[in-house]
Amino acid sequence: MARYLARRLNLFFATSLVLFVVMFSVTAKFPVDHTVALTGIHAPTAEEQASINEAYRLDKGQVSQFIAYLEQRLSGNLGISVTSQNPVFNELTAVLSASFELAFVAGAIALLLGIPLGVLASLSKHKITQHTIMAITLTGYSIPVFWLGLSLSLWFGVRLGWLPISGQINLLYEIKPVTGFLLIDILLWDSRYAWSAFVDALQHIVLPAVTLAVLPFTVVVRITRSAMMSIMEKTYIKAAEARGLRTYTIVMRHALPNAFIPVLKNLGLMLGAFASYAIVVEVIFSWPGVGAWLVSGIYQRDYTVIQGGILAVALIIIFLSILIEVLHTAINPLSRKELYAAH
Amino acid sequence: MTELLKRLTLGSVLCCVIPLLAACGPSRVPSGLVYCSEGNPESFNPQLVTSGTTVDATSQQLYDGLVDYDATSGQLVPSLATAWTISDDERVYTFSLRTGVRFHHSNIFTPTRNFNADDVLFSFNRIIDSTHPYHDVAKNGYPYFQSIGFSELIDNIEKVNDYQVAFHLTQKDASFLSNLATGFAVILSQEYGLQLLQADEPELLDKLAIGTGPFRLVDYVKNDFIRYYRNHHYWRLTPDVEQLVFDITPKSTTRLAKLITGDCNISALPKAGELPVVIDKPNLEVDSIPGFNVAFWAFNTERIPFNDVRVRQALAHAVDKENILRAVYHQTAVEAVGLLPPLSWAYSSNKSLIDYNPEKARKLLNDAGISDLSIDIWAMPVARIYNPNTHKTAELIQADLARIGVKVNIVSYDWSVFNQKLSRQNYDSVLIGWNADNSDPDNFFTPILSCASVDSNSNRSRWCAPEFDRILQAAKSTTDRVERTALYQQAEQYVAEQVPMLPFAHATRMVVKQKRVTQSKLTPFGGISFTKVTPAVVAIEEPN
Repeated sequence: MARYLARRLNLFFATSLVLFVVMFSVTAKFPVDHTVALTGIHAPTAEEQASINEAYRLDKGQVSQFIAYLEQRLSGNLGISVTSQNPVFNELTAVLSASFELAFVAGAIALLLGIPLGVLASLSKHKITQHTIMAITLTGYSIPVFWLGLSLSLWFGVRLGWLPISGQINLLYEIKPVTGFLLIDILLWDSRYAWSAFVDALQHIVLPAVTLAVLPFTVVVRITRSAMMSIMEKTYIKAAEARGLRTYTIVMRHALPNAFIPVLKNLGLMLGAFASYAIVVEVIFSWPGVGAWLVSGIYQRDYTVIQGGILAVALIIIFLSILIEVLHTAINPLSRKELYAAH
Repeated sequence: MTELLKRLTLGSVLCCVIPLLAACGPSRVPSGLVYCSEGNPESFNPQLVTSGTTVDATSQQLYDGLVDYDATSGQLVPSLATAWTISDDERVYTFSLRTGVRFHHSNIFTPTRNFNADDVLFSFNRIIDSTHPYHDVAKNGYPYFQSIGFSELIDNIEKVNDYQVAFHLTQKDASFLSNLATGFAVILSQEYGLQLLQADEPELLDKLAIGTGPFRLVDYVKNDFIRYYRNHHYWRLTPDVEQLVFDITPKSTTRLAKLITGDCNISALPKAGELPVVIDKPNLEVDSIPGFNVAFWAFNTERIPFNDVRVRQALAHAVDKENILRAVYHQTAVEAVGLLPPLSWAYSSNKSLIDYNPEKARKLLNDAGISDLSIDIWAMPVARIYNPNTHKTAELIQADLARIGVKVNIVSYDWSVFNQKLSRQNYDSVLIGWNADNSDPDNFFTPILSCASVDSNSNRSRWCAPEFDRILQAAKSTTDRVERTALYQQAEQYVAEQVPMLPFAHATRMVVKQKRVTQSKLTPFGGISFTKVTPAVVAIEEPN
């Protein structure tokens, strides 16, 4: 296992290195001055220019420059934003937490609703129930996310006025950032408005989270259903039934853990699509996350923000994909066996 | 099996219902007001900018000027200056200053003294004195003051005593007080300036603003919000709301949506087409004020055939202004009879000198010996307060001109490219406009039609008439209103005869808001004020 982990870690570093090489060569191609693209400092003074030259070793060869670039980026120096002149790293950490919050809630909705519904679809003997569930998930899978987001805001926000459709919270609540995660910060907030603020924040997250959850939800339902159906046919389940175990025990203890393995694998495959959906959802609902930040950076030709955003999103996806693969191997005895057999 | 199904169903239902139940508690909101504004301020010191967005976010909230406009009458009223005297030669203005006015405090600054003459000297010397330590802190200069030649106008500013200052002018200027009343001429704290200079952080003066205004700046997150607290020591009536938040929302439809869902109480710059939605909602209303602006169609008088006054008159007579007001402004504008809007004191409600008369237009064109005319109209790509949809305006004019046999080609570029190309002067005609910075009528003529403005490229007609300049100069060198009104009417007459441009509308400045917000105060040029706004949401408990 240690050897396997080392190899995955190695994969992570190799992929990240390729990413950095791509970012480095693209940065040189941006249609602005190279120092602006690297640091975001407009019209640097002679001293600033000298220190930039030294930090990025602009007078040396490409390889040396790349190493300097890597040093700067890995030490957290992503330059300053061309438009706001604030350090990109600070802006990034602020928006990342909002994105994680949204992704976490959406993921929770998808799993908590998707897995039971998938099991239900697989166990139900009624053709109508099965077909209804499949029809719903197929529809959900095919709906374009931007259309869904706009329709939901039109109906639940503008027409019915039930739910807010923009932003994270009513701005009159002045939440002091402690962890950066708004919902947690509100719970830590010592104020008589804390409960109302929490409800308000929950209401704000409903529509974007539901919109974002639709894709993973449909995938989870379909994968859970097919996995459960094949597992329920397995002989060890038949044996358990023959022993007179209750259906509940059979499903929860013997079938579901195994059915979860392909679900996990598919979640890992879906990360890229999920991230791009998140960007669209954040823009539609003005969610102050990394997606909306990146898109506004693109509109404003804010090259340091674009680099920082792409770097962060790509690194997170690489990291999570590898993490899910490791988890998949850890809980799946079959793939562990393959692993040992290969070496 | 059935037991399992029951549990699964129950679980799913609970997941859906619990968040909904959670929402059914009493809802408490802190006292305050949220204003959905259209963009980020460029700075927190309006001296350094000309953009309306920045003025909205700073001038009336954080600062006070020496003099002010009365919101209803448009007259000059005392602000930080309680009274002023003008010397007989009209070249020395002496201001008596208000006592007991306190500056804001912040995390890094606690004022130890009240407002006095030193602050006035500090604020204005910064602009006019190039050796002032803060003069060069402003990287882009002081655009408004440069455009009115402020540094050349002021000879020096003298501190008579702690509560009296005298401005010595180099020449008579009737618009001087009006310029002091603009949102750009604000008073900063000298003490704060010196403290920052000592700490070697002078640029903070324009970022972490300290003023004497009704609100103090607490927090600003770019692209997100600006938070202000009430200034408890405000020298006027303290504002009713404890907190003021600018929710920065560039998209007009999002601002409207936020207003509908209650995330903001007041929303800026609605598009005319969105107004029916607001009127449909029982809890929303439109607040409007006649704007201090003019939208016009300027002819490049340096080009053939627009150098012929008959051609310009013909084109002007061919345009149905009523139709533009209906289709483009949805009746949220008034027809322009001249350049001055009805709100200006020099306005006279004469009938438009250029009526809609296609017959006459055709005849004028014949007289000029022109047939088969084909012209370009440049239309701005963005909405401005004076014209929400220039492209549609151009299409309407196109249809009107087709009736007198003139072909129109509509040209448009992206805003920055558009501006660049405009300054290269190779256009036939352009649909653009002007938004006034102060209530002085001069602001509608000198910056856009004088000979000097041809060189600075703000004269879109590229029209220079020495006779017209003489009228403007005469109007500026007297302070007698009757005399000035007569002169500006003469100027209007001159424009109507020569038609360097066709003014067609004065757009209404609008905000949309919740009905329970009773008194947000729009001022035609100085932005929006919230001092008399009653709290929209007082910590009330209501079932949700």
